[in-house]
Amino acid sequence: MKFLPGKKSDALEQSLAFSIDAREEGLLLAILRLYPVLPASHHRLTKDPKSAAAAEQRLLEESMAQQKAAHKRKLDELFLAPQRYFKDGPEGQRRLALTRSQFEWLLQVLNDIRVGHWVRLGCPDLDQTPPVAANRANARALQIMQLSGAFQSALLEAVR
Amino acid sequence: MAEVSEPSAVPGTEKEKKPKSTERPDRGYLVLCWNDPVNLMDYVTHVFRVVFGWPKARAEKHMMQVHQTGKSLLTRETFEKAEHYVHQLQSYGLHATMEREE
Repeated sequence: MKFLPGKKSDALEQSLAFSIDAREEGLLLAILRLYPVLPASHHRLTKDPKSAAAAEQRLLEESMAQQKAAHKRKLDELFLAPQRYFKDGPEGQRRLALTRSQFEWLLQVLNDIRVGHWVRLGCPDLDQTPPVAANRANARALQIMQLSGAFQSALLEAVR
Repeated sequence: MAEVSEPSAVPGTEKEKKPKSTERPDRGYLVLCWNDPVNLMDYVTHVFRVVFGWPKARAEKHMMQVHQTGKSLLTRETFEKAEHYVHQLQSYGLHATMEREE
């Protein structure tokens, strides 16, 4: 996936376009179907549990849960009508077209999937080799993390 | 990457020090972002720019501080504003918290 620079005014306000091939499109949709991964209870308002008022912590978790539900609804719309996002471009190319708000939404969704799988793996130090025990489930989770990160990086090219 | 460290300024834990919800006008709440090995550096920079409206250089400075020292003090705010920022940062999946300034 690669950012397709447009006019500056487009990049700042309107749509962002990315070239994407059929394999990448399939991978992106497959990864997005995993959302949500990170539980709302993962979010903590403060490091010190004694200083966190229960009401405010609950508010944070409710807010995250509501946001995840809204993100999931948007994903369901995407799965129902992918042609609204993935369009045919010139010379047989496919394009992913996003508004700025869709861009931020997709970044958040991909990050939830990436961080969520990292948490499922036990929050390993990714600089270690190997970061987790070698088995099929861990390998799959690492692969999903890498793919989510790769799509995030491709999206971030648009604002770099 | 560095392990997540504990805050150097541990917020007050005694009951009488807890602020009441109606009495939080002071900017005594710190919004901190903590290092983790999973969020991408470019992503963290982007989130700081979106949430705080910072220019790229300032966002990158705080991102590097998180990366190199384990945490960065992003802003000092009232309870409500600090809470708002933590919600925003966590909606992007960053490890951000608010702590009472001692």
